[in-house]
Parts: sequence; C-alpha cells; structure tokens
Amino acid sequence: MDCDPGPEPARSKLQGLIVRGYTHPHSTHMLFRFPGRAAAAAFVKALLPRLQSGADWGAAKPALMLNIGLTFAGVKIATALGSDLNRFPMVFQKGPTSKWSQQTLYDLGDSAPENWWAKNFAPGELHCIVHAYALDETAEKEIVAFIADAATSAGVEELFGTADKSRFTQAQFKDDLIQFGYRDGISNPSLQWPTSGKPFDAGTLDNFVLGYPACTPFSPGPAGDNAAARFAKDGCYNAFRVISQDVAGFETFLDEAAKGVVTTLGMPAAEAREWIAAKIMGRWRNGSPLVLSPDAPDDATRDVKAFVYADDKAGLRCPISAHIRVSNPRDQSVFPANFPAPRLIRRGMPYGPPGLEPGADRGLIGLFLCGALDRQFETVYAWMNQNTFSDVFSPKFNTQDAVVGARARVGVDTQFVAQTAKGEIRCTMPQFLTTRGTAYCLMPSIASIEAIAEQRV
Amino acid sequence: MANPLSMYVPIKQDKDSQKAATDAAKDFVKNVEDGLNASGIVHYAKLVLIPNADGDGTQALFLSTVFDESMREYLRFFWEQPGINIAIQGIAAVAATAPDPPITDLDSFQSFIESVDLEADLYQAYPDTVKQIKAKKS
Repeated sequence: MDCDPGPEPARSKLQGLIVRGYTHPHSTHMLFRFPGRAAAAAFVKALLPRLQSGADWGAAKPALMLNIGLTFAGVKIATALGSDLNRFPMVFQKGPTSKWSQQTLYDLGDSAPENWWAKNFAPGELHCIVHAYALDETAEKEIVAFIADAATSAGVEELFGTADKSRFTQAQFKDDLIQFGYRDGISNPSLQWPTSGKPFDAGTLDNFVLGYPACTPFSPGPAGDNAAARFAKDGCYNAFRVISQDVAGFETFLDEAAKGVVTTLGMPAAEAREWIAAKIMGRWRNGSPLVLSPDAPDDATRDVKAFVYADDKAGLRCPISAHIRVSNPRDQSVFPANFPAPRLIRRGMPYGPPGLEPGADRGLIGLFLCGALDRQFETVYAWMNQNTFSDVFSPKFNTQDAVVGARARVGVDTQFVAQTAKGEIRCTMPQFLTTRGTAYCLMPSIASIEAIAEQRV
Repeated sequence: MANPLSMYVPIKQDKDSQKAATDAAKDFVKNVEDGLNASGIVHYAKLVLIPNADGDGTQALFLSTVFDESMREYLRFFWEQPGINIAIQGIAAVAATAPDPPITDLDSFQSFIESVDLEADLYQAYPDTVKQIKAKKS
C-alpha cells in the first residue's frame, strides 16, 4: 500500500458502536420522525448525556448508553446544509427503496419496500434511529424511558415498525446465538489503522469512517472540502435492516435435506441435519469453520477468525455458496472488476421469542456498518443474491448464498450444492428470510451530533 | 436478469459542444470497449445523437446499455477505466444543465449517471448473463 492514510481519528470523536462490539445483553432500537429542525435539535440535545463515544471506558462499563443514526431525510431536516446535501452519495440520498438499491437488495414479495415497517409508516418518514444499550432489564427500561421522554418533550414522534406497534428489542439468547441456532458475530473487521507499506486490508478503520479516503478504494463520501463532508467526517453509515427469520421453515428444511445426506453419506439423521446446517452456513452451529473442522464441531476452533480457502478451492470442506464464504470470501480470488472484496462491521442481534411456535415474528436486527453503502453493504448483498464475483462460480454464475439469497429473483438457480468425496448433495433452498424494513443511516461524529443539538450546522 | 441504463442528456447548442458531442458518439465504442469487456457485465452499449426537432444539430445524447447485476456495484470499476471515465465526463461537459455537484470524484460521477437515468421497462429474450454466455463459448 503506497499511500498515507493520515493520522488516526481519536476514538472519542466517533460513536462507540462503530469501533467496539458492545456486549451489553439488552438493546432496543427506536425509530423517530422529526417535525422540524428545532425539535430535532431539542431531541438530540436531550440525548447527549447518554451518547456513547468510542473512547475506552476502562473498568467502568456504562450500565446504559445510546448511539444515534440519521437517515438522509433526517439530516436534511436536522441541519442547514442546504445545497451541499447533494454532496452525499446517491445511495444515501435515495435510500434503500430506490431502483438502484433494489438492483442489489432484491426485496421481493412480502419483503418488498411497500410492506416495510408493517406499513405503519412510509420509509421516507423515518428520520432517526436511536440504539439503546443496557446491562440489565432495569437499565434497559430506564434508557428507553429516557429516550421516549426526550422525544415527547421535543415534540418528536416515535414510529413503530412492527405489526403490534412494539419496539425492536433484543432477544435474550445465550452464547451469542441467533434464531437459527448458530453463534453469530464471530468475525468482524480488525478496525486497525492502516500502515504504509503493508498490503491493503478491507478491514481497517479508514474503510468505514468518513474523511480518510487516501488509502481505501471504497471512496467513503461525501468527499472534498464542503459543508456536507465536514459534517460527515468521523461518521459512519449504518444499513439498519430488520430481517424476519422462518425458524420453523428452516428446521423443516434441515429435516428434508438430511434425508439426501443420509442416503449419500450414510450418516444418522440427527448428524446429517447438523452436517447440512453447517454446509449452508460455512460454520458449525457452535462457530467452528468448516475449512478447519470439516467433520465435526470443535471447541478449539469455535472462535477462530483467521482462516483461508486456499486449500479448499473446490469447496469440498466449505461449499462455495455457503453464507460466510459468499459474504466474506477472504483469500478466494474475485474478478478484477469486483476487487477488492468489501467487509462490513456487523453489530446485529436477534429479536422475537425463541422457539418454533407459529404466529410470532422473530429474526435479526441487522446493523451493517460501512463507509460506502453501495460499494460495501450493497455489493455484499448483490453477491449473496447472485454468485457472480469469482470464477469459482463458473460456468453457472447464477447460484445464490445458501441462507440469504432472494429466491424469487428471475434467472437464479436456487439449488445449493455441497460437494463430497461420495458425490454431490443438492437441495433447493427455500426463502427463509423476509425483510421487515431497511433504513440507511449516517451515524455522525460526536462533534456533529453536538452541532445538531446547538443548531450550529 | 439484466437491467437497463438509459442516460438522456440534453446538450448545449453552441458550435464547440455540438462538435464534441458528434466526436464523442463517433469514438464511443473505441473509448469504452476495453473497460466494458473487462467488467464482464455489459451486453451492449450505444451512444446515440438525438437530433433537434428541426433536423439541425443535436438536441441530446442518449447512452443506452443493458447490463447484468447492479450498476452501483461496478461504478467504481468504471470510474477507474480511463476510456469510460473520459466518455462520461465528455457527456457531462456538454450537458445543457451542468452536473451538480461537478464530477470530481466517484460519488459525483455516480450522482451524474443516476440523475440522468430514465425509467425504462426492459424486454429480455434470454436469461443468460454475459459471464454465462462467455463461459459457454470458452
């Protein structure tokens, strides 16, 4: 890497969610609509005492805290950036419902944008998301009441994106499990500061925090010397995406798919279920990656982040369309037009009741942080919806991510193939996921949030 | 499933702009073919001079392409291809309404393209992508 990234920003300038994966077991994600600039300022000002930066908190872990994101409509109302607003990337200006974004997200059928947020409000009405974190249930109630009171006092309207008009609240699962029964959040970008002379790393902090574009090909924007770029500096984008998961359908799929595994590989049915569950994810449910633990989950590999696919080019261990291999291809080659493969900071958590009983909504509250919504988040989504980015998918080029792909998309092959020494295991992948809503937010710097509060920007 | 890009750009009527538009259309394929080939997603691309109603001179440039996947995923690559970058900037330079913001970086390059893209319904006779077609022929 022959470039100078410049000085690393002090983490106290950044919102904490960007640079650290909170381990607070309780969180609630609250949606708001601003009636005007003064109300937005009053609301944000009231939240400042609990706004958490990325500064090291040492041994004094906050019992309750919050972070703030603004949609483009929210930035437009809360600031006086005027004509400089058009310096923001189009993907942020137009939001996830736009034609161009939907060319990557493919939210079809029940997932379509017209169905988002339980139809309680139009996506364009969403201006602000406040992410509240707490160490226990009592603290969670306190921080949620603090935020709700701030909104009421400022005249800011809280919006509810669920059919029963409840808030998006983190479900309590042990061991970082998600609704499908896998451990999640094992691998995230390093977020180190880039070093001149070292190879490019898509996981360094300059790829995610705005204002340090010298060494990143993803061009986080807005760039240049203008009011929008100054406002956005030290911020980060967040693709907030609530995804309902059909857990009963997933378990039924495993039952059915396991029959083929039993026939071909001669495994007991229970073992075959877990084998296929691992093959579609690329990790066993305990977290062990298949390239390191191909035959069974292993406690010794359950937390391993550093592994490559160099010795598994054909996908005999980890199938080439397994979720973790598509969403993060690591050392696998990608075409020059797709290079380099982007990374995302994932800060999601499960919501809804555990279990299989029908009628309850359950899934993932996804927070996908990036410096360029299109060149990082939407690119990964495009790759999941159609596997085209590497010659390992030749000649088909129309398979999908085994877990996430939009199956109703025209022209795709919904068959998942796991190669084994005894032959191929093939299964047709159902649609496990339904998008409940998506918002593209800017998580401004601490200074820019303070400027909004004082109407200085 | 392929997607269309239909850039419609009314152009300035002065002599230099009119000549630049004519030259851009004449050299279009020569300028962009290396980058489009390398992208592996573009089925075809054409740059059309739309004549003025009275038949004298050019009213607008119309750049029409059909491509696989999502354009946004590839705009960074196109921005980095000299021939494509010059072709798009050439169109912007003669636009009757100058790009706002001016094209100085990838985001403004993208903003210009998206701002002049018309809605279009696309008929497709075959489902194959460029990569699939090339793989079958190789």
